Amino acid sequence: MIKFDNVCFAYDKNNILNNISLSVKKGEFVAIVGRNGAGKTTLMKLLNGLLKPTSGVVTIANLNTSVTRTSELARHVGFLFQNPDRQICRNTVKAEIEFGLKCILTDNADIEKRCRNTIEKFGLLPDKDPFSMSRGERQKVALASVLALSPEILVLDEPTTGLDYKECMHIMETINELNDNGTTVIMVCHDMELVADFAGRIIVVGEGRILDDDVCRSVMSRPEVLKEASLAPPQIVELAIKLGKGFEDVFTLDEMTGIISQRAKREGCIM
Amino acid sequence: MKGILEYSQGETVIHRLNPLSKMVIAFLLCLSSFANNNIYCTIGIIVVNLLMAYLAGIIDRAFSLLITLFKIGIVLFLLQVFFIRTGNTLLNLPFNLYITDTGLKFSIMLVLRLVGATMPLVIILTVTRMSDLTNVMVQKLHIPYKYTFAFITALRFIPIFENEMTGIIEAQTARGVEFDTKNPVKKLKLLLPLCVPLLISSVKRIEGSAISAELRGFNLRRKDSGYKTYRFIGLDYIAMLFSIMILLTCIIIL
Repeated sequence: MIKFDNVCFAYDKNNILNNISLSVKKGEFVAIVGRNGAGKTTLMKLLNGLLKPTSGVVTIANLNTSVTRTSELARHVGFLFQNPDRQICRNTVKAEIEFGLKCILTDNADIEKRCRNTIEKFGLLPDKDPFSMSRGERQKVALASVLALSPEILVLDEPTTGLDYKECMHIMETINELNDNGTTVIMVCHDMELVADFAGRIIVVGEGRILDDDVCRSVMSRPEVLKEASLAPPQIVELAIKLGKGFEDVFTLDEMTGIISQRAKREGCIM
Repeated sequence: MKGILEYSQGETVIHRLNPLSKMVIAFLLCLSSFANNNIYCTIGIIVVNLLMAYLAGIIDRAFSLLITLFKIGIVLFLLQVFFIRTGNTLLNLPFNLYITDTGLKFSIMLVLRLVGATMPLVIILTVTRMSDLTNVMVQKLHIPYKYTFAFITALRFIPIFENEMTGIIEAQTARGVEFDTKNPVKKLKLLLPLCVPLLISSVKRIEGSAISAELRGFNLRRKDSGYKTYRFIGLDYIAMLFSIMILLTCIIIL
């Protein structure tokens, strides 16, 4: 579905990404993590053709992004930016969702139907002015207008920044549901708890190259990699690392309580 | 990539000039572009501007500015050249359109003046810290800080809005809006709805800026609040004299 083949990218002769090679299969949920300025957003923008590689090839749904226009790639790749205000440009929620659909579809009945379904799914008020909504609600409207296009790939650039826990969970659960239905999700995120909860695979980016690319559990258990990328594992993983032997595979709260219960039973303690 | 008017750090001769003399030089070069009616003389002013950018170490940015200005100039040229009907006809075109020698000269001069007058201001503002410009306007020109702040803020917001607009265009292109089309008319039509997010973000930024200025004691600032002094050195006098000579040459050639 997504393939980077020896991709390099430079801004004004400054190398941002060097020889990046990776592939993402359909239906995967990949988190891209790394310190600020590591090249995560550049990597994201290469995905939908907003940036073209200096060398190498980026292939999305069998389309070479170097020769395909971004507006054409938008049929396959939905991109949710960190700041919803850059995306919202209409005075009502309905008009906002329709705006994106009209760029890609021509059948008015289909546009109307998709718009209605999206509004219902997200529980939005169609006539409400998006600019009078809270930050979380505006992010929801932006996500709704991206998802109305039913993209095969969903790219999220720090989608939960500035959201409270409830808003964050609502957005992430919606994305997770889509992923369960086969949408490939690529997410840039600094919140490792969120990454651990939702992503299946982590790509750690640093100094313009891939430092690690593995399933979530393996990457989280490599503190040296996380340290190099200025990241901290979720608290439960950190505790498991400190507890040492016997806790190596602990990744969730349930696993931690399970092991402690087993040990307590074995040693005759009452839990 | 750095945007228009974004400060370029350096220790070059141009950077070292007094902010006030930099502004005087820019103003004199602007004036020189309008004070002559000779194509070669105006081209000469553009060359001086490029030389100044070279000395300031921003020649790449000056060339990209030159290209942008010439692109705008082409539109202006086309708008002018077909509507000036006086003079001898040089070229007859369909739909009763024709180009005259007067129209051609006027249109070329218009484009060159646009380039010659815009470049010095942009180059000078690129190598001058806004804080230095503010201080020197308050200290030397005795302009009240309130007005200086308004002027500097307007300049400071240009690169910010430029970045914001780029971000908005990227966000819209990513959702399928055809900003990557090669048709300029279509592109222009698509730009109109983007005024809404740009306006919203501008108002938010200005509001934030006003609140932070109030919190940092905006109203307490006086002429002597700045700790930095801005003395004129020999280099300032030489540069200003050179600019005055350019202006006088332009007036004589006129």
